[in-house]
Amino acid sequence: MSIVAYFKEEGTAATSVELISEVEQRLYREMRFLDDEEYRKWTDMMTADVHYFMPGIETRYRKDKTDQMNDLSRMAYYNDNLEELGKRIDRLETGTAWSEDPATRYCHIISNIEVETTANPDEVLVYSNFLVYRNRLERDEDTLIGNRKDLWRREDGVLKLARRRILLKQNVLISKNMNVYF
Amino acid sequence: MPIENMSGPRPDYSRYMDIEKGWVDRRIFADQAIYEQELYQIFARCWLFLAHDSQIPKPGDFITTHMGEDSVIVVRQKDNTVKAFLNSCTHRGNKVCFADAGNSRRFVCNYHGWSFDTAGELTGMHEEYCYEEGDINKADWGLKQVAQIDSYKGLIFATFDETAPSLETFLGDFRWYLDALLDNEEGGTEFVGGTIKSVIGANWKFGVENFIGDALHAGWTHDSGCRAMNNGEPFPPVDMQNSFHASVNGHGWEFGMEGVGDIFLLGRPKVMEYYERIRPQMAKRLGEVRSKIFGSVASASIFPNVSFLPGIHTFRTWNPKGPYELELKTFVIVNKEMAEEIKDDITKGVMCTFGPGGAFEMDDGENWENCTTVNRGVVTRQEKLHYGCGISRKIDHPDMPGTIYRGQYNDSNQRLFYQRWADMMNAQGWDDVPERHKSQLNGRATRDIPSMKKA
Repeated sequence: MSIVAYFKEEGTAATSVELISEVEQRLYREMRFLDDEEYRKWTDMMTADVHYFMPGIETRYRKDKTDQMNDLSRMAYYNDNLEELGKRIDRLETGTAWSEDPATRYCHIISNIEVETTANPDEVLVYSNFLVYRNRLERDEDTLIGNRKDLWRREDGVLKLARRRILLKQNVLISKNMNVYF
Repeated sequence: MPIENMSGPRPDYSRYMDIEKGWVDRRIFADQAIYEQELYQIFARCWLFLAHDSQIPKPGDFITTHMGEDSVIVVRQKDNTVKAFLNSCTHRGNKVCFADAGNSRRFVCNYHGWSFDTAGELTGMHEEYCYEEGDINKADWGLKQVAQIDSYKGLIFATFDETAPSLETFLGDFRWYLDALLDNEEGGTEFVGGTIKSVIGANWKFGVENFIGDALHAGWTHDSGCRAMNNGEPFPPVDMQNSFHASVNGHGWEFGMEGVGDIFLLGRPKVMEYYERIRPQMAKRLGEVRSKIFGSVASASIFPNVSFLPGIHTFRTWNPKGPYELELKTFVIVNKEMAEEIKDDITKGVMCTFGPGGAFEMDDGENWENCTTVNRGVVTRQEKLHYGCGISRKIDHPDMPGTIYRGQYNDSNQRLFYQRWADMMNAQGWDDVPERHKSQLNGRATRDIPSMKKA
């Protein structure tokens, strides 16, 4: 299987308060769109070549060198381009997505935001942590927690999400499905 | 000796259903005592899927998994055979392996440092000098081995019951169908790297019975998924004349004969092209009939708890965790000969359709959870469930082995799954398990038999 050196870029801590604040506001806005199920507005914040990646992480011993975070050929919850993300969202708009009707209640909380500049003046690396809570019907309840590493690219003056890697801190997904975005 | 069933007298489990009339008693999805019996009578006796050969290619490669609720380690040996043993130290019972997969020369308990080799033999312990002559014969204290282990075309199975019939006999004529998945191209199959596991608050049988024969739910439950993956189009109508249920002693495969439906649902044009290209070869290899079964709108389960979708390439086990919970382990199965690009495309397609975030999978879990949890109500629990669809459509088909019903919309594979379930639950030993489908192909390789007319 092909192992791609996927997301190993490193940057330099950003010093511009203005830039950091701009990034933070973009991250919060994204999560508000997800809380409100405004999925098209959410994907409008992405570049056309976005890659949205959430690998499945097996429990392995420390000495094990299997690259579970960067090998794109392994099983993943999400390994999507914009079209594939779009198809998942299409489902929600059919009117027959039964497991979302009645609606699920979502709350996305983002913290630990860190911004790094890169060699490319239009691109920044962004680290963050998430806590996504969802609750539906009577007492269905999930709390999903993890880290993200993003690449945001400025296009026509606006920062857009170009790449995101999501690491969920669960081995067995303690939920019946993953009808949720991060 | 088979694993001793430590509980007292058992009821007649056939009374929990009437497969002639077409109903099943809900208590089999809810009752703790019945669940305990399933662990003894089914999971401690039947051949259970452990791993694909490709997951553990090199000596020392291992995966950990469950047989029923028993934790086991599956390891490739130096001579390339595979052993499986309990993941539980013989000293105080702690687990000796905590990884899902990896490579190791030994499994060492964290508690007192008892060390076992890849064959499960006890080789040493921390401060071994404190054991004096006569305290322990290490050869007697290895990890408990499964009673039998064998594989069929890459799929490794094991049973805890040394009196169980061979794997070939257990799979029986279902091998003829399995070849359509496992042997449709030279080189056979492999699993893609990784495993995705999730928890569904449902009885394990709801997953198995859904895949064994519930074509009917697809067009309704998965309308949204189908339209999403298929440019707004709903499921195509089913050809009730030319689609079937096939059941072999509790294993089952429901299928159309159009050859493309499931591959189409994967939503990957390159994969479609791939199969169109190899289909003439597949027809030569397996015969026309199976080359049409493969890739059609279809789903299948191997008794008791393995399921797959040929053409969509998802392969999974439904692991029991009490009457009200199952753990779903999913894999992606591909042909070894495929180019990396096709394998990657399939993997993406599977995760878009039948991963936990897949457009199809996400509507299943909620159904099964509610089918299960409503039975906490003692009044609800005493009601029957209807399994009578297509009950009079049994046919003899000249090409296909097994018990065949016409029309893909049918409950027959499910009825026969529950019949096998009751047979296993009632049997004192394997001699008591009725052979509901008399094997016609036992002792013969099934790949080269294109149709039962030529058998």
